[in-house]
Amino acid sequence: MLVLRDLSLTEGGVPHLAAVSVEAEPGRMTTLLGRTGAGKTTLLRAVAGLVQPQSGQISLAGNDWSRLPPWRRPVAMVTQQFINYPHLSVLDNVAFPLIRRGEPREAAREAAAAMLGRVGLAQMTGRRPAALSGGQQQRVAIARALVKRAPVLLLDEPFVNLDYKLREGLREELAELLRSQSDTVVLYATTDPREALQMGDCTVLMAEGRVLQAGPPRAVFGAPATLEAARVVNDPPINLLAAEITQSGLVLDHLGPQSPGATGRALPPGRYTLGLRAEDIRSGGPLPARVALTEVSGSETVTHLMAGAQPLVMLERAVTDHRLGSELGLMLDLGKALVFGADGALILKGASHG
Amino acid sequence: MYRQKYIFLLPGLLVLVAVILFPLIFTIRVSFSSWDVYNPGLNNAGGAMYARLWDDSRYWEALWRLSLLSLSTVLIQYVLGFALALLVWRDIAARRFLRVLFLVPMMTTPVVMSVIWRTIFHESLGPLNPILEALGIGAQPWLSQATHAFAAVMIVEIWQWTPFMFLLLLAGLLSLPSEPFLAARVDGAGPVRTFLSVTFPMMGAISVGAILIRAIEASKIMETVYVLTSGGPGTATETVSYYIYIRGMRDFQIGYAAALSLTYLVIMAVALTLIAKALIRLMVREARA
Repeated sequence: MLVLRDLSLTEGGVPHLAAVSVEAEPGRMTTLLGRTGAGKTTLLRAVAGLVQPQSGQISLAGNDWSRLPPWRRPVAMVTQQFINYPHLSVLDNVAFPLIRRGEPREAAREAAAAMLGRVGLAQMTGRRPAALSGGQQQRVAIARALVKRAPVLLLDEPFVNLDYKLREGLREELAELLRSQSDTVVLYATTDPREALQMGDCTVLMAEGRVLQAGPPRAVFGAPATLEAARVVNDPPINLLAAEITQSGLVLDHLGPQSPGATGRALPPGRYTLGLRAEDIRSGGPLPARVALTEVSGSETVTHLMAGAQPLVMLERAVTDHRLGSELGLMLDLGKALVFGADGALILKGASHG
Repeated sequence: MYRQKYIFLLPGLLVLVAVILFPLIFTIRVSFSSWDVYNPGLNNAGGAMYARLWDDSRYWEALWRLSLLSLSTVLIQYVLGFALALLVWRDIAARRFLRVLFLVPMMTTPVVMSVIWRTIFHESLGPLNPILEALGIGAQPWLSQATHAFAAVMIVEIWQWTPFMFLLLLAGLLSLPSEPFLAARVDGAGPVRTFLSVTFPMMGAISVGAILIRAIEASKIMETVYVLTSGGPGTATETVSYYIYIRGMRDFQIGYAAALSLTYLVIMAVALTLIAKALIRLMVREARA
């Protein structure tokens, strides 16, 4: 097991890692999910030894790595940039880590050629990386990381700079390739909650260099422990509705009183924040709202709306054409809302999530 | 219609003809004459000057000496320049100061620096020999013995021009992408292996350019020899440029000096082309993991 214990790194007064602790098991993919600047890349670089945390410990199967230089750590890494050796052929790029490890040149090249065949680049071995497309260059980088069969594989948003179709295809290919490396600890950093849900066996939510929550992806998605975690784990962004529960029922600050039993739960009177996912808002209801922005992504439509002073985001699993400025009637499924207390901690999770 | 474009090229072509083609063609013509102090003017001597230089052992020795001097100094300049460039490439203390400091020798006038170095090498008055004596090495006949004088010319050339090599190589290093170095560290390459497998091969094309630029310049070594040793003792440090200068400007054998110059030009053009091809084969095309 890879154990990261209380890793801290501050540069120029900015905390990049703040007492980060993560445990990752072999044969399982641990996804680090967070927005840009959350500390995911810094954490992976710390594991690889490319940055040195000021405190904390990194160990694999009980062996402390914390002071090892990067070239002595048994890791392989793929980054979001297509990093290859521009002066070497594709074959020599992939053979490079094996040759550095002391394997005979010919054996290393044979292993590299086999791995290039697995990532669909058998015909490209003699070319230089610059002669390949972006997707092919990233396949070379992935092949170089996998051929090493390192005990720890670090994947830092490896598909973020690829187009949608290629990303989907490579994601599936990578999952397939990793099935043959069941003794490998895989840390996968991503900003995309869906990717974390789809690929990971364990999700670690990060923000501002801290770990917010860790656990199985569906559990984290279904019950984010805090408002901050709910923001990180939802894309499109979760709708946050300031609310008050009184003796007479639920009142949303900007949308007024809701029907009795809208949350369906007995909560003591007080101030709360409801977290309502974008897919839990539908058109065709009584709440009037004006369309501010429409984004079509694949076969989904994300619509940003204003209901009075309350901004809302709605996700529809269809391509729809809401004109800017037009009026829509909305239905809020408040029964599925997450309820957070005044301190931001989750009090109740929605009816059907997780 | 399309011919009008040549009108716009004409000023440039005229300058080209005036500054390059005319002197070259005139030199060719002069080399077929026996123009000297007794027979001034463009007479017709056929290939007599070329026949003469074929048997001129002093010329061929100067050419051999020049080859030895330029290749060895450029090689040492490359190694030192690369080491200095690597030193100030990464974040180290006083990096900016060191970058400027390393360039100082290049900024000074070659003749002035050669005069200063001649003073340093002076066997009885210069500061170098007392230092060597204090170190127990003993005074050296810097400018009066052939091997020492040759070494002195080499030292001054290396001191003067290593900064130029440093500048070119540092610019090259700074232009390299940083990502392959990051990948090399993760792929198990320590600092030495990273240099051998990543830095050096990626600097191949830049190295070839830097070495060729310096080789072209070094093949014209003149000021250092003129000021430091005047080609001596005897002809021990005489280079081709200096020998041509003696024949043309001191002995006023203009026709012969022109034949020497043209032969030298052809030899250098062929030699540098071969060197360039060899370097490209060695340093650019053969990168392996």
